[in-house]
Amino acid sequence: MKLGNLIIAGLTTGSIYAVFAVCVSVWYRVSNILNLAVGDFAMAGALGVDNLYRVKSWPLPAAIAATLAVVIVFAYLYDLVVLRLAQDGPRRQEGIVITFFFTFALSFFIDGVAKILFGTDVHAAPALWNGGSLTVASSLHIERAGVLVLACALIIGSAFWLYIRYTLGGKAMEACGENPLGARIAGIDTRRYRRHIFVGTAVIAAVFGIVESPITGFTYLSGATISLTGFIAAAYGGFRKPGRALLAGLAIGILEALLGGYVSAEYGDTVLYAILAALVLGWPRAMGFESAVSG
Amino acid sequence: MNPVNPAAPGSPAAPGSPAGSATRAGSATPAAPALAVRGLSVAYGDMVAVHDATFSIAAGEACAITGPNGNGKSSLLMGIAGLIRRRGRVEIFGAVAPSGDVRWAARHGLTLVPERRQLYPGLSALDNIMLGCYCWTSSLRRARNSRPFGTAIDLFPELKGQLRQQAGTLSGGQQQMVAIMRGLASDPKILAVDEPCLGLAEAVARRVYAALAEIHEAGTTLIVVEEAPKRALTICNRRVEVRNGVVLDTP
Repeated sequence: MKLGNLIIAGLTTGSIYAVFAVCVSVWYRVSNILNLAVGDFAMAGALGVDNLYRVKSWPLPAAIAATLAVVIVFAYLYDLVVLRLAQDGPRRQEGIVITFFFTFALSFFIDGVAKILFGTDVHAAPALWNGGSLTVASSLHIERAGVLVLACALIIGSAFWLYIRYTLGGKAMEACGENPLGARIAGIDTRRYRRHIFVGTAVIAAVFGIVESPITGFTYLSGATISLTGFIAAAYGGFRKPGRALLAGLAIGILEALLGGYVSAEYGDTVLYAILAALVLGWPRAMGFESAVSG
Repeated sequence: MNPVNPAAPGSPAAPGSPAGSATRAGSATPAAPALAVRGLSVAYGDMVAVHDATFSIAAGEACAITGPNGNGKSSLLMGIAGLIRRRGRVEIFGAVAPSGDVRWAARHGLTLVPERRQLYPGLSALDNIMLGCYCWTSSLRRARNSRPFGTAIDLFPELKGQLRQQAGTLSGGQQQMVAIMRGLASDPKILAVDEPCLGLAEAVARRVYAALAEIHEAGTTLIVVEEAPKRALTICNRRVEVRNGVVLDTP
């Protein structure tokens, strides 16, 4: 039963990795930019809802709607002003600058604003599905928020996977990142795809932050940590395959829980990253790292 | 400079577009040339690549655009297709093309097969070709069952075994074939091919030209850009020369 509970705990943390990994890899697929601010959108969603609901006593649906509206407008404007100038403007940026810099700066910016607005304490959005943990087969305990988190991960990951595999729009989205000029020649509006996916993943992250925050709690600095874990799982999908990023996220979560439970609670993470590093060194191609590095 | 407007088009452009394709070109007067370019200029900053180009191509013609490298052939073509900013007027079958709108041009029948192919290396050859259909449909099933897609696939039967392969792993000649197939899948009335034989072996180049001749015989207006006009003129009945960014029309 210990094994079962560990796997359940692992699936929950794995889902968190998986969702951010999917968001990172889908947008990288379109734009060849790594979105390091994806976790900050989650933080902004969770703390924004908490602030409006708990401090300003708004009704919960209104708090959620208002927070998401702010995220949408902000992401849209960021794409319109900064990313459009960086990628399409007369002084186009390329290489490492565009890959990291712009969303990294965005991450710091959101953190700074969040610190002013929400303070430095740990908060969480109210749980969306109230009640004690569910008990299955007399000894398996499942948190309700954990069920929601896993469901979110599976829905988001498989939706993108299906979109890419079975629709021409999804293939056009891939083409944008594969060869922007070639995509435009086929009549694909690369700018529109980039904007839609950027705003879309920001909203997904914010919604997920709201759902997930009752489990971990958020401070204004949580975003960067979450982005990083998603980033690692996304790397296992070569930053390009949301389906694989989903599975990698879940697998890393389970592995982490098992190592923490059976090997060492203190050194579990160290062992985990040693294993992940060994996998990358041993089978870079199978892990999709080759394409990620060479772009 | 007056636009040259030949009286008798060789063979009319194939009528009928794939289901759902909104092509207003059909409503134009029959006398309208397939492509009319008037006063077109393309500049990169201060560097003028094409200066005040005026010429026209009749429906059904096969036209070679020739001239030394770096003299503005590709810029001319990209400007016409709407890939780079241009000044001047471009008409496709009598309809004025908005500047910078590649999709509009593709939907009205002008498709570019660009220099260096510009494929999507990580996608399969089949997906590359299928994305040619993107300008007229967003449905994968309609694209797969369409006539233009079928025509494209049948153009190079020797490639059938490799269609599932990633485009980036194909040989240069095969990639050029895929690029032409992608162009054909957009159901073009005018197909503009930029340096189709760059870096290809002689036998492959001949195969590519045979396919281009086949496309032209089926009624598509053809524009071929070549540095060396010799091969292009085997299938083209018209030549437009570009020198130092200036177009010299030689009927």
